[in-house]
Amino acid sequence: MNLRRHPDQAPPVIAEGLGKKYRRGWALRETSLVIPSNRVVALVGPNGAGKSTLMGLITGLLSPTTGRISVFGDRPTGKGLHPAVSYLAQQKPLYPQFTVTETLTFGARTNPTWDQGYAEYLVGQAQVPMNARVGTLSGGQRTRVALALALGKRPGLLLLDEPLADLDPLAREAVLRALMIEARTQGITVVLSSHVLAELEGVCDHLVLLHGGRILLAGDVDRLSPNGTPLGELVLNRMRQAALEEAA
Amino acid sequence: MIWVSWRRQRAQLLTLLGLLVVGAGVITLLRSSMIDSLTSAGLTGCVSVPLDQCTAPAAAAKSFAEAWANPLDIARMSILFGPALIGVFIGAPLFARELEQGTHVLAFTQSVSRTRWMVSKLVMALVPALVVLAVLQSMVSWWLSAAGTLGPLMNGPFTALNFSIGHVSPAGYALFAFALGTFIGVMSRRTLVAMTAGLGAFVVVRFALAGLVDRLVPAQRVEVSPDKELTVYTDGSLVLDHGYLDAAGQPVAQDKVNALTAACKSVPQGSGTAESQQEFLACLPKSGLAKRYADFIPESQAWQVHLVDAAIFGALAVLLLAGTTWALRRQS
Repeated sequence: MNLRRHPDQAPPVIAEGLGKKYRRGWALRETSLVIPSNRVVALVGPNGAGKSTLMGLITGLLSPTTGRISVFGDRPTGKGLHPAVSYLAQQKPLYPQFTVTETLTFGARTNPTWDQGYAEYLVGQAQVPMNARVGTLSGGQRTRVALALALGKRPGLLLLDEPLADLDPLAREAVLRALMIEARTQGITVVLSSHVLAELEGVCDHLVLLHGGRILLAGDVDRLSPNGTPLGELVLNRMRQAALEEAA
Repeated sequence: MIWVSWRRQRAQLLTLLGLLVVGAGVITLLRSSMIDSLTSAGLTGCVSVPLDQCTAPAAAAKSFAEAWANPLDIARMSILFGPALIGVFIGAPLFARELEQGTHVLAFTQSVSRTRWMVSKLVMALVPALVVLAVLQSMVSWWLSAAGTLGPLMNGPFTALNFSIGHVSPAGYALFAFALGTFIGVMSRRTLVAMTAGLGAFVVVRFALAGLVDRLVPAQRVEVSPDKELTVYTDGSLVLDHGYLDAAGQPVAQDKVNALTAACKSVPQGSGTAESQQEFLACLPKSGLAKRYADFIPESQAWQVHLVDAAIFGALAVLLLAGTTWALRRQS
């Protein structure tokens, strides 16, 4: 429990033989993975590869069928998220009838590590009016508010499930830029999932490639492609290879 | 967390407050208007005595009862339906709406335990609703007691409607309806399903358990000779069983009672006269029907029946809330 107070001492995520089975079958099998600190991790794979399942297991919303997982040294229990972890689900759930100010108050009331000034600064950066109701905001503005809520608790690990999926290209760029500035300056490990590698290629320095519930590639980008092979090509080759192995 | 639950349920709480203010105002106005009409009809003295001892003209009492029967019934109905409404509109959507819209993920991924989140939501939803129901219930009974024996109270506390709106029974029903709504909401994760299925299940359980409570409170027995009247039928008591006893004090089977009374009726030829009635009553003990008896719960013990009733529904509510807690704390 000492690790709770010193999240820097244990790696953000260690998974050993981690597996999750739903009624319809395995979503994640026998996954062993270490996510080191101070990385921007691209969690990539086609739809249904197990990306959301892996995030659910890290947050404790899901419980593993097999294996173990530890987050900053603690086992996720589902009794409230680890104080050093923030999670933004794919649907970006926010209470639509709350104003932006009230949404930040919600964050302050439910997180002991909340930094109100920082959260307000992030909303101000996004030029979202503080007294607007969340239900009336555009998709990009909603994402920025959800991001401010996630970052306002000063996490050491930020999990973003398909954060760019429903944004237009301009909003995508703005969100990604704001996110990278905060990740670099605050030393946060960010895990971004996407089924489109291209949108993360320029920003990530660590890659986890999931396919059919298994890890095909995992590691720092400069180690995976020492000769400067583009990540997209690397991923595509590995997935073709996996498809051939399956067929054989 | 209390602030969050308050903000989430603000509209609902303001609606409840509005209902309370409007309901209390309407009841106060109608009650004073009813007292005016009692005074003008000279019926004030009849409120606290049985109807047959009322000195005012019978026509005045009758027209008063007719004029006020509807408003008083509507007031009683509103307390009767209150628990069902609390279950449908407050209990059922409480968690179902969050689960349906995915906003429970928002709460589950902050640094607050699910139990604390759940308890603060439950308290913020249930306590104000119960308070409003209790206040309106006591205001309605304040109004009903002003009409006294000229109003619905003349039938005693044990009629289905009077019992349902008396003492702690509405609170027990409301607790049960609320817990049922939340439980079905958590299990189905659909607001509409929780509202409709919750209402249906509540009505079924209310009907199914309606007679149960009467058997759980010890009844008293009164025995009189056949020529005396049993007062329990007119003094507001709840009569559970009645019939005849033989000379040894054992109950006589109903078909035998029918045969014996029929035999006694056929003895005197000129029936319908006072003498034949006396002969009939004298015949009964001789044929073996020594006494009439009734098992009953007196009006003064109605509170015991209410407590048992509320305890049954309260226990069901606790079970359902435990189920809700289990379902919400479970990691999928």
